[in-house]
Amino acid sequence: MPEFTKPFDSKWQAAVLLLPTFVVLIAFLYYPGLETFRLSLQQTILLGAQKSFVGLENYRTLATSAAYHKSFAISVAFAAVVVVGTLAVSLFVSYLLFQVDVGASTYLIAAIWPYALPTAVAASVLLFLLHPSLGIITHYLELLTGLSLDWFTNGPQAFVIVAVVAIWKQLGYNIIFMVAALNNIPGTLTESAQLDGVGHLKMLYKVYVPLMSPTLVFLVIIDTIYAFFATFPLVDLMTSGGPDGATNLLIFKLYRDAFEFSNLGLASAESVVLFAVVAILMYVQLRISESRAHYGG
Amino acid sequence: MATRTNPDSALAGLLPEGVDTERVLIHGGLIFSILLMGLPLILALIMSTQNTSEVYQVTNVGVGSQGLSNYETALTQYNFGQYIINSIVMSAIIVVGKVALSLFAALALVYYKLPYERAIFMFILLTLLLPVPVRIVPLFDLMSRLGWGNTIMAITGPYIASATAVFLFRQHFMAIPASLVENAHLDGVGPLTFLWEVLIPMSKGMIAGVSVITFIYSWNQYLWPLIIMTDQSKQVVQVGLRFIQGAAQSGLTQWGLIMAGAIIALLPPLVVLIVMHRPLLETLAIQQK
Repeated sequence: MPEFTKPFDSKWQAAVLLLPTFVVLIAFLYYPGLETFRLSLQQTILLGAQKSFVGLENYRTLATSAAYHKSFAISVAFAAVVVVGTLAVSLFVSYLLFQVDVGASTYLIAAIWPYALPTAVAASVLLFLLHPSLGIITHYLELLTGLSLDWFTNGPQAFVIVAVVAIWKQLGYNIIFMVAALNNIPGTLTESAQLDGVGHLKMLYKVYVPLMSPTLVFLVIIDTIYAFFATFPLVDLMTSGGPDGATNLLIFKLYRDAFEFSNLGLASAESVVLFAVVAILMYVQLRISESRAHYGG
Repeated sequence: MATRTNPDSALAGLLPEGVDTERVLIHGGLIFSILLMGLPLILALIMSTQNTSEVYQVTNVGVGSQGLSNYETALTQYNFGQYIINSIVMSAIIVVGKVALSLFAALALVYYKLPYERAIFMFILLTLLLPVPVRIVPLFDLMSRLGWGNTIMAITGPYIASATAVFLFRQHFMAIPASLVENAHLDGVGPLTFLWEVLIPMSKGMIAGVSVITFIYSWNQYLWPLIIMTDQSKQVVQVGLRFIQGAAQSGLTQWGLIMAGAIIALLPPLVVLIVMHRPLLETLAIQQK
C-alpha cells in the first residue's frame, strides 16, 4: 500500500478510468473463458450449427482416448525436457556472465537476444538447418557423432529436435532473470566462499543455486507454461505433430480438433484441461512466493 | 568450463598466472556459448543470399549469388512487405492501447479511494489464468458474431488490456514519493493533468520497458492470427512464414527465400531489443516480484 493519503476520491472518475480495462478483460478474457466450460459440455454437429448438451461426454472421450493420453504424456515429457534443458544451459551462461570482468554488458546483449526471437522464426530457421538431407548442422552432426539423423520419420528424434528449438528460443528470457538474481547476491558471500577455496561448480551448486531458488522456481513455472502454450508454431511449422504423433503436443491437438475437425465441444474440453494445467502452476508459484515472503528469503 | 579452480585464485590479483587462466576460460566459455546460440542466425543470414542450387550443396557456407534478391522476392512476390506492415500496425496498436489502458487502471487503483480495491486488483490479475488457448473456441465464435473476422480489431482487441502491465504500473506508482503526490494535490490538479504532468514523466523508463515487452510479445503472436485472419493479404508476418514455406515447396524448396523471410520477420523485435535493452531489463527486474 502506498504511504500517502490518496488524493482523489471521485468514485465515478475511478470507474471511468477502470472501464476500458474491464470491458476488454470481460469481453475477451472472462466471457470466452467461461464459455469454454459451457461449450465443453456440448457436442457440435454440422460445423457448429447444432449444439446439444452432452454432460461430461467430451471429458469421457478424452479420458478414454489413447491419442489424447499419448498427447498428454508427450506434452508433460516435452515440458520436462524443455525446462531442464533451458535451466541448465541458461545457468551455465548466466554464471559466466556473472563472473566476467570486462565487456559484461556487450556479452549480456549477445546472450539475451533470443528473447526477441519469434517462435515461428526459430522454427523456420532450424527446420532448414537441421533438415535431414539439406541441413548443414545435420551434416556435421552426423559426421561428428556417426548417427544418422532422420527426424522426418523418426519420432524420438523429432521430439528432441523440437525440444532443442524450444530451448533455444527460451534462453534469452531465462538468462535475463538469472543474471539479475546472481547480481543481487551480496558480494561478501562470494568472497568468503572464495577464501575457502571452493571451486566454480561447487560454488554454483552449493552457494548460488540455493540463493537463486526463488528466481529458479519462477522460471520453472514460466518455462513450463511456455512449453505447454507457446510452442504451437514449432509443431505447426516443423512436424505437424508427427511423425506418428511423436510431437503432437496438447496445444497442437487442440488446434486440429477445433479448427480442422470442427469438434468444438471436444476442443473446449481440451481447453479446460489446459486451464487446469496453468491454474495448478500459478497456484504453486503463488504458494511458494508467499512462503518466501513469510520467511523473508 | 573449469570444474576445479586454482585454490590460490582466492588471492585475486596477487597471482597473475592463476587469474589469467580463469579469465581465459570465462571469456572463452562465453564466446563459445554466444557463437553457438548465434550460429543458426549467422547460417540463415548467409543462406538467405543463396539460390536453390547453392543451398542444395549442403556444406556451402559462402555468400550466395543472389545477394539481396531473395529479400526483394520475399517482400514483393511473397507479400512480406504487406505482412510486415500488418505486423507493425497490429503491434503498434497493442502497445499504445495496452500502455494507455493500463496507466488509467493503475491511476485509479493507486490514487483513488476505492471500495473493494483489492478485489478489483485480483479481478485484473486473475486473467493471467486465461491465455489464448484456454478460450480460443469461444473467442473465435465471438469474433464471428461481432463480424470482426479479418479485421485489425480481432488481432488487437483481445490483447490491449493486461494484468502484467497494470501490475507493473501499479508497483511503480506506489514507489513514487508521497511528497510529490501531495504537492500535486495541493495545487488542485485534476487526475488527467496529474497523470500527464506528474506520473508519466516519472514513469518514462517503466513505460518504455512495458512497451518493449508488449511489442516483442505482439510481434510473436502466431496461433490467434492464423485462425482469425483467413484473408492472406491481412495476415501478420509470423504466419507469413507458414505461407512462404508452403509456396516455396513446389519443386525444389527455395530455402534461401524462406531464410530471407525468417530474417525479415526477426529484424524488428531484434532491433528493438538491442536499442531498448536498458529499460527492458529494468522493467523485467520488477516483474518477477
